[in-house]
Amino acid sequence: MVHISDGILSTPILSAGWAISIVVMAATIWWCEKRRDLSEEIPRLSVMTAAFFIASLVHIPVGPTSVHFILNGLMGVVLGVLAYPAIFIGVLLQAFLFQHGGVTTIGVNTLNMGIPALIAGAIFRIPVGRLRLCEVSTGIVAALAGGVGVLLAALFASLTLIVTGRQFFEIAGALVVAHTPIIIIEAIVTGSIISFLIKVKPELIGLGRSQCET
Amino acid sequence: MRRRLIYLILVLLFLFLSSAGGVSAHRLHIHHQIGAIEIKAYYGGGTPCRDANVTIYDDEGNLYMEGVTDESGEFSFPPKIGVDEYRVVVESTHMVGHRGETTINMSSSGGGGAGAAGGAGEEMPLYVRIAAGLGYLLALGGAAAAYSGWKMKKRYGGG
Repeated sequence: MVHISDGILSTPILSAGWAISIVVMAATIWWCEKRRDLSEEIPRLSVMTAAFFIASLVHIPVGPTSVHFILNGLMGVVLGVLAYPAIFIGVLLQAFLFQHGGVTTIGVNTLNMGIPALIAGAIFRIPVGRLRLCEVSTGIVAALAGGVGVLLAALFASLTLIVTGRQFFEIAGALVVAHTPIIIIEAIVTGSIISFLIKVKPELIGLGRSQCET
Repeated sequence: MRRRLIYLILVLLFLFLSSAGGVSAHRLHIHHQIGAIEIKAYYGGGTPCRDANVTIYDDEGNLYMEGVTDESGEFSFPPKIGVDEYRVVVESTHMVGHRGETTINMSSSGGGGAGAAGGAGEEMPLYVRIAAGLGYLLALGGAAAAYSGWKMKKRYGGG
């Protein structure tokens, strides 16, 4: 539940969220366009966005509240920098079709889930690309990235919510504790999906077939 | 003889009065009580939103009442005479950053029992909204695939 609703944040924060999100989105698209053909990446982006869009409907009751899947870590691992525009589209659809989060908070919510997705992508891609890890290690690194993605999203949302007048540690504590099951499950899901993909279709995550030294 | 007659009259009078008392018990009483407006707040997935702060504003936007939802996410408040529209705002305390808002209109027939809580739109069933989202994404992916196909054809097909 890192989707912040309308009517909670102040206008400067909402505007900053939109501004940063637009700049980051433009930068990621430009970065990707320079290296690869963007139109060939979009079908992959659409599939991952569909998973992100639907995952938010799967809720787990935790204590007095409930949390849902985010999958931002998996997005970062699979899509790399394109996870940011993908999350933007996902958050946009969730806001308009599920009334999940808010319309004015699309920028902030994209930022809160998108930046952790980029970090998760870096956690996965840098060691896997450089160290030529084999399948098991790749799966473990992916699981770590998937878990960190959710953890950071909860922390980013807490940081944004300081404006509600509460202490950071109070909000962050509640959000992180509530999201612990999601962090664990998403780590396992990301790890399993990536170790499967690396075996079957490594091109899907932008890695060559000869990653593992045999 | 006369005394007997008096007794008889008294007995008859007693019977008449007691039966008349029975008739008066059939009087139709109307007791009225104006029911409370009940709201229920819940997160997506159906988990009740408990201990959430509820703020109710009247049709002029003035603060009417404040309260907290119970364990099942419910809160009820008495309607104010002459006011038939309320704006209800619920802010979660266990999950900071979550807020729902709905307008209750007493004069429109749509309100009441299973009315919308938390401001969630009731206009489309969930599966339609899921299909709509997936449709947009499919269109996006399809358009990109068509574009790259067209580009490839232009590059290799023409030569």
